[in-house]
Amino acid sequence: MKKAIGDNMIPKEWGFEKGLELVKQAGFDGIELWLGDVPWFQMSTADSEVRELRRKVENAGLVVSNVSTGLHWASPLSARDPKVRAQAVRIVEREIETAVLLGTDAILLVAGLVTPEVPYNEVYQRCLEALRPLGEKAARSGVRIGCENCNAEQRFLISPREFWQFLNDMNSPAVGIHLDVGNIHDTGFAEQWIEIHGPRITRIHVKDVMTKRGRCGDQSVYTNLFLGDNNWPAIRGAMTKVGYDGWLVAEMEARYRYAPDQQFYDTARAMDRLISGRF
Amino acid sequence: MGITRRRFLGYTAGVVTAGLRGLPLDPTSRRYVLLDLDEHGCFRESVSGYESALTSAGVRWMPGDARWISPARCAVLIVPAALEIPPPVVRVIMSCLQTGASVILESGAGFAADRDYRAHRVALRDYLQVHIEMPVDLWPDNSSQRIPYVDYTWPRPAKVRDFSRVVPLGRQTGEVIARVDGLPVGLRRASGRGRLIFLGSPLGPALWAGDAEARRWLFDCLRTAGEQA
Repeated sequence: MKKAIGDNMIPKEWGFEKGLELVKQAGFDGIELWLGDVPWFQMSTADSEVRELRRKVENAGLVVSNVSTGLHWASPLSARDPKVRAQAVRIVEREIETAVLLGTDAILLVAGLVTPEVPYNEVYQRCLEALRPLGEKAARSGVRIGCENCNAEQRFLISPREFWQFLNDMNSPAVGIHLDVGNIHDTGFAEQWIEIHGPRITRIHVKDVMTKRGRCGDQSVYTNLFLGDNNWPAIRGAMTKVGYDGWLVAEMEARYRYAPDQQFYDTARAMDRLISGRF
Repeated sequence: MGITRRRFLGYTAGVVTAGLRGLPLDPTSRRYVLLDLDEHGCFRESVSGYESALTSAGVRWMPGDARWISPARCAVLIVPAALEIPPPVVRVIMSCLQTGASVILESGAGFAADRDYRAHRVALRDYLQVHIEMPVDLWPDNSSQRIPYVDYTWPRPAKVRDFSRVVPLGRQTGEVIARVDGLPVGLRRASGRGRLIFLGSPLGPALWAGDAEARRWLFDCLRTAGEQA
């Protein structure tokens, strides 16, 4: 099992290269690149510049674990406006293209957003229809699409069985789940999600969650590993049970107020403990 | 009772297969035709919605191409999510109306670019005398407080999810059959020997999403229109 962390965790003033040094020094094996979330990796970033990013990653002694994006929060695949939907599709296509350029085989997307305006049934159908051709494109490119479970924020595919049914309806080996064990909050148990989805898991995001605490203003419910309410021994056990041996990718929402680099070191050590199973 | 055996059997089959009492399924009778505008329409899901609703109900319908539709054989012509309305489509709509068919014309202009909307408005005004206003965004601030339904009053009361943007109707002759947020978005009027039903809020996406109320409304509409054809 290998560990990575998102480049959106790099303090903005540090820049990409200095951030890569930190990621390596902290003990990570790879880095997750967030399309659209960081200045060095945008939709407008040319192929040649993407290759340059890969060169920098490899020069730092790292590899790209996967390509992710938060752009679908503003441009969801489930939008009613065809223009927005076309943009959402283009974002996924660019993720696939850049994944190939960056030498990785997985991308993350937020599949759809249920809102007061756009109801669940529409979102479900529209996501299936949008993802079918994208799944084919991904398969041709040797890439797997991981739909992230963003249970509370997304209000879509909230239970593991719903997600399982959605992937059954997709019926594409190129479309699976990018499981975030911190996003389940008190709607279930991460270890059960792992058991149910097993081989369909493309990557695992790790962070801890305080299930007894709701969002309040800018306060986060997420925290560093072992500080929240996730049952980490059970999560580790479930990974072993289903034979998950892929990337664990740190994705913390709350950053350290001081000494931000310390979070990288602390997270890497905690992930080592998680991987080793020593609790 | 002025009904042939064949027509009676057609009606009976309709009841058994679709629960749509009165929809004529007789192959020799006039048909329900779904006109797919393809690149001239703007929501594929609207076309898919009508297709799935009609098919799942066992309604005998046929996909139409404006070049070969026979208006005399058409009981109801459905035009989903229309944006650009090219001349052959205008001709077939007008011919259907002249020969006594009902035409359900659904506007897909809610999300259209300004230039496309203007062309849509001119076509509706010049050829069908339907006057529309600028599209209205029903969810300008993604408010969770509004009631997200279009209220239909004909042929049956029904609440169907709005589709975020609507094309309201201007003042004109005919009966307003649907409103949302006080805006008139559905119109029914006699035209030629037929009837024009204009929908300023697309129904197709609700059909596509499996909205049972939308389906009931459509089937009642088809039944009523089919009986009049």
